[in-house]
Amino acid sequence: MSTARRGRPKIKPPKKHGQEFSAERTWVALSKSIKEVQNHNAANLSFEENYRYAYNMVLHKKDEMLYNGVSALVAEHLDTLAEEHIIPRFPAGSIGDPIQRSQADELLLKGLKDVWDDHESSMTKLGQLLKYMDRIYPEKAHVPTTWVKGLELFLVHIIKTPIKDHLVTAILKQVQHEREGYVINRSAVKGCVDVFHRLETDHGTVYKTELEKKFLEESETFYKSEAQHLLSTCECPEYLRRVESRYQSEDSRIHHYLSPQTGPGLRKILEDTLLIPNLSTVISMPNSGLDSMIDTDKFDDLARLYRLYLPVQGGLSCLKRTLRESINRRGKDLNDISLGVGGGDGEGEEGQEEEGPKRKEKGKAKARPPPGALPAIKWVQDVLDLKDKFDRVWRDSFESDREVEASLNEAFESFVNNHPKAPEYTSLFIDDHLKRGIKGFTEAEVDSILDKTITVFRYISDKDVFERYYKGHLAKRLLHKRSVSDDAERGMLSKLKIESGYQFTSKLEGMFNDIKLSGDAMDEYRKVLETRTAPSVDINVTVMTATFWPFSAPKAAPLMPEILSEACKSYEAFYFSRHSGRRLTWLTSQGNADMRATFRSRSHELNVSTHALMILLLFEKLGDDDFLTYSEIKEATEIEESDLKRNLQSLACAKYKILRKHPHGREIDVDDSFSFNVDFQASIQKIKISTVSSKPETPQERKETHDRIEEERKHQIDACVVRIMKDRKHMGHNELVNEVTRQLASRFNPDPLAIKKRIEALIEREYLERCEDRKSYNYMA
Amino acid sequence: MDVDTEMQSATAQGTEESKENEWVRINSNDGFSYLVRRKVAQTSGTMANMLDPNGGYAEAQTKICTVDERGIVTEKLVEYMCFKSHYQTVGPKEDIPVQEMQERIPPEIVLEVLLAADYHEM
Repeated sequence: MSTARRGRPKIKPPKKHGQEFSAERTWVALSKSIKEVQNHNAANLSFEENYRYAYNMVLHKKDEMLYNGVSALVAEHLDTLAEEHIIPRFPAGSIGDPIQRSQADELLLKGLKDVWDDHESSMTKLGQLLKYMDRIYPEKAHVPTTWVKGLELFLVHIIKTPIKDHLVTAILKQVQHEREGYVINRSAVKGCVDVFHRLETDHGTVYKTELEKKFLEESETFYKSEAQHLLSTCECPEYLRRVESRYQSEDSRIHHYLSPQTGPGLRKILEDTLLIPNLSTVISMPNSGLDSMIDTDKFDDLARLYRLYLPVQGGLSCLKRTLRESINRRGKDLNDISLGVGGGDGEGEEGQEEEGPKRKEKGKAKARPPPGALPAIKWVQDVLDLKDKFDRVWRDSFESDREVEASLNEAFESFVNNHPKAPEYTSLFIDDHLKRGIKGFTEAEVDSILDKTITVFRYISDKDVFERYYKGHLAKRLLHKRSVSDDAERGMLSKLKIESGYQFTSKLEGMFNDIKLSGDAMDEYRKVLETRTAPSVDINVTVMTATFWPFSAPKAAPLMPEILSEACKSYEAFYFSRHSGRRLTWLTSQGNADMRATFRSRSHELNVSTHALMILLLFEKLGDDDFLTYSEIKEATEIEESDLKRNLQSLACAKYKILRKHPHGREIDVDDSFSFNVDFQASIQKIKISTVSSKPETPQERKETHDRIEEERKHQIDACVVRIMKDRKHMGHNELVNEVTRQLASRFNPDPLAIKKRIEALIEREYLERCEDRKSYNYMA
Repeated sequence: MDVDTEMQSATAQGTEESKENEWVRINSNDGFSYLVRRKVAQTSGTMANMLDPNGGYAEAQTKICTVDERGIVTEKLVEYMCFKSHYQTVGPKEDIPVQEMQERIPPEIVLEVLLAADYHEM
């Protein structure tokens, strides 16, 4: 600082470095040093001295000479290195032993790596020495810097034929070797691959241009034959396990000594060769495919299957298809078993009739389901078990995949609806559980059983058919107080409500309501009776709203004995005093009665149906040995024929023979006659006769049910069409049919033909008219 | 003759703790010698290469850099290296007294210092 203020000091010219500069001499010295560096003798050299040589040459405009000289030296050195370290290591083509061959390859790869390391280190050092040149010359002359030039020279002098081809082959051989299960020196391969990554040509890295393509080709060939090999030797789970382990080993290969950028390509090859062509072959391998994995609960294998198939094109759809097939096949088996039994039941109606009495005997064994309902319960239980099984697979192995779930449901739906009795059986199953199954189960268990049943219900497309059966079964449960738990009943009802809406259950709820109101009415009736003389028979009446309950009034009311009609009149009087304008129709066929009968040895309390009571009352006034013929009984009671026969059968032919039939036999004939069995003996005091058991319908009943349902559907379609047309006024035919189908789908699947017929009927009745174009309709107000 | 700039003593601090803090010697061509920390020397690209252990030249082994300049020029180089090393890490708000540094260079050696700085890539 002080110097600056001292005035004008003279600036001395800097002393000239190397005034006696000679480019040739300098270069000789420098090139000697460069060679020393290349021979790993840098420690003996002064950096400053050699740096100054280069500096001076640049300063004296000899930079081109310097640059070219260095390039030549590097090239020369590379050639020497190749001669020394690589070429002698070319594996001889004649080596047959894979292990020796592999070692030779490894040696070659290491050789390259050594050369690279050598080159890299000497280029670093030269770069330091020549830094001054690098700062000035490359920009001026448009040439690459020393380092980049070094890489270029390496490319030209080392990565060339035949060295390049030998290297690539060696790498591929090593990979092949490892794929065949041998251990290789991964770091040797990695060293060489890394060099390939570092070297760039105009078309990308050497790795990309020289190695990757060949590697992928090689992989494809290998895995094509591997797929063939695995297909012929492995079972399905094993195949998938192998494929997965191939995936993993290739993945580790990619990450350890190749390049992540090759990953997707390689993965695609694996999928294309191992999985995609064999998707359905593998999944449906006999005795080991999807089906048997499900059979044997191989959740891990199934999960693997899912993992492998999911990302592959067509994999998921193949899985879904096979699952559907599997479920449909299993479902068909269940249906066949169930129908086989049911079919026999329907064909040999006589056989069933023969079974009849036995069934009634067994009826008292409440804990067991009535045999008639067995196929139904078994079928539903089987369906539920199947559903459970697939649900578990779905949850544990398929990661709760939504798409898979959809096809599961689809499959279940299709086979459940293929069973003609599905709605009836489902209702029977619920009936059975509500009647007897609740004992010994906790509430939660019952709930879960009913919940599962709901899933079956969900699959049923003819929900109206189910409703009809359910109504019938529910009516019987309510009337005969067979329901074990009111809570469970209501629980079921609310589940159905959630599932199908208020409309679906309103009538069922009405039934519950009737029972409750009847109970209240009975209480009041009893109170009223206390104030006046009661009829000789105690009576319990359930008043049912006609539209809610599935019973139709009998064509002709049976003749009631005095003693009963007196009681009925008394109740009617009570009831009409409360509700004017109502009509009561007595459904004696649905009732039952407690009575006391005195036999020779002792007296018993009998619980019989109302009709049976009426029959027995006829015998009350007769002597012990008097007979009544069939036709006399029929005349006196006017009970419907089939019902009469059934009641007589249960009185005279079942386990407890209250009546004697003449002649003996199991079937009731119009010529038979009956007498009171005074010698009747039984060990128990209370005897229940004739239980009404819910059982699958006979074919005849079924036909009736179906006719009724058809009739009901007609009305529903009518109503639906009118509702839609009223809203739209004008609509095309197809559009209308679609809309109707959509709106009714929650109840049943209407047949388009049926809809068409109903439309025609509506046109006849002038609700609608056809338009000019013959394809659409107008609503007529 | 030893002239200590800035740093008082040459006690090596924790060998492995930080190579940056190890001492290196800078000699001028007329017998002056300067001890500076490695990180100071490395503000010169040329000296950094010279001392680079990976390069492995003689200077890297001995940790002595020879500067072919007079003591007065070398001293200015060292002063600037210290200046640069100190200020290259300061926050953007702090004032860097470049002006003062410039004024401290005597005009009569400016050209020499300039050439030397170019040579040493400072």
